[in-house]
Amino acid sequence: MKAFANYHPAVLLVYFISVLGTVIFVSNPVLQITALLGGILFSLMLQKRSEIPGNIGFYTALFLMAAILNPMFSHNGVTPLFFLNGNPVTYEAIIRGIAIAVMIVGFLLWCKCYSEIMTSDKFLYLFGKAIPRFSLILAMILRFVPMFKRRWHSVKRAQKAMGFYSTKSYVDRIRNGIRVFSAMIAWTFENTLETSLSMKARGYGIKGRTNFTLFRFYAHDAGILNVCVLLAALTAVGSVVGEITFYYYPRITQLSLSPFAICVYVAFGALSFLPFFIEVKEALVWKYCVSKI
Amino acid sequence: MKKDILAILCIILLVVVVINGTNIQSVDEYYLTHIDDITPDSETVTISIRCNTILDNYDDLDPALRSEEFVPADGVILPPTKYVLRPGDTVFDILDRAVRYNKIQMEYQGADKNSFGSVYIQGIHYLYEFSCGPYSGWMYRVDGEFPNYGCSKYELKDGQVIEWIYTCNLGEDVGCIWMGDEES
Repeated sequence: MKAFANYHPAVLLVYFISVLGTVIFVSNPVLQITALLGGILFSLMLQKRSEIPGNIGFYTALFLMAAILNPMFSHNGVTPLFFLNGNPVTYEAIIRGIAIAVMIVGFLLWCKCYSEIMTSDKFLYLFGKAIPRFSLILAMILRFVPMFKRRWHSVKRAQKAMGFYSTKSYVDRIRNGIRVFSAMIAWTFENTLETSLSMKARGYGIKGRTNFTLFRFYAHDAGILNVCVLLAALTAVGSVVGEITFYYYPRITQLSLSPFAICVYVAFGALSFLPFFIEVKEALVWKYCVSKI
Repeated sequence: MKKDILAILCIILLVVVVINGTNIQSVDEYYLTHIDDITPDSETVTISIRCNTILDNYDDLDPALRSEEFVPADGVILPPTKYVLRPGDTVFDILDRAVRYNKIQMEYQGADKNSFGSVYIQGIHYLYEFSCGPYSGWMYRVDGEFPNYGCSKYELKDGQVIEWIYTCNLGEDVGCIWMGDEES
């Protein structure tokens, strides 16, 4: 179910830019954790059940790796725990590592949601006329990873069906992976050229060209847009003014809990849980309607 | 299956090599509680660590560091102190011993990790390179002169005076004339 995807592409773009921008530029633990939770809930709503266990494994591994790498390379901080080859491994660096991991995983989850919701036709609808070339390149980049994954699986299945490396040995499996990868590289390069030629042949970028999908800007789009802009502006003001600044080095600062800072936390919380609430509301309405039939 | 066993053995070997190469010390082991006593016939050098230039460029300083705890009011992190010079000691060895004895934080890049072939001091007392503007970092001076090479290549002689100074402008503000690369 993708109730959130039914909003106008401009609204969705503003929404995703404000959430992703906050995740990248504001290093406040409260905001990072809220964004992560919002991302987890939203991507849970969007995914197929069967994909969830694999994704949990991948993101947990990524989280641990990011959290462990920082204290290995960053030795700043006032509380040394032990010393590695003469350089300190500090409490602050470990906390910072966890914060970076929260940021990376949160960011990736939101990007995943973005690619589910903002399909390339929506992106081209928004920018296809104003900046045709650039928007085509961007659309191709943004759909690259999901497409790569899909094709990866299909090539792998084909190779398996032909009986290549269908043993249980891990070394053979890795070799099979390399083989699939080289096939994928060739396919991707070829596809990039073909896409641009094919788009040209269809008259992409010519004046008077219409779009594949048409979107109308309804009153409820305006409502959501207003809410998004308001909440994002509050978060932005909070971080620019320095009300929610947070330092990890050399000493972890006290978390700001002034009334204004709490307002900012609540605003960003509302912003990052917004799509989840919309999806849940829509699911409940659907259940209710079904039960009446 | 044979290949798997071989691969696992290779990984184990790699892990053993990595673990062998790392030296883990507890906090108490790292900080020296005792340093060589100065006897009448021992060779000594004097070392000091200062960051006065930051006080003049306080606006450039990283906001997280703006406190007495990290930048002392007089800019002196370690006043001139005499330490015993062991044969073959470099500037880095003396600095390392001095900060360990005085429990001052220090981070450095090992000599094998950069193209200078010398240890590079990234930060002392939480003050890092680039902490106070884009041209800031640690430099060292021996007997009033800035050697144009790394601190673990400078072998010391009896009675020399080492100064570790924080610069905010590639050494110009601390009296370093040569305009080379900022290497300390």
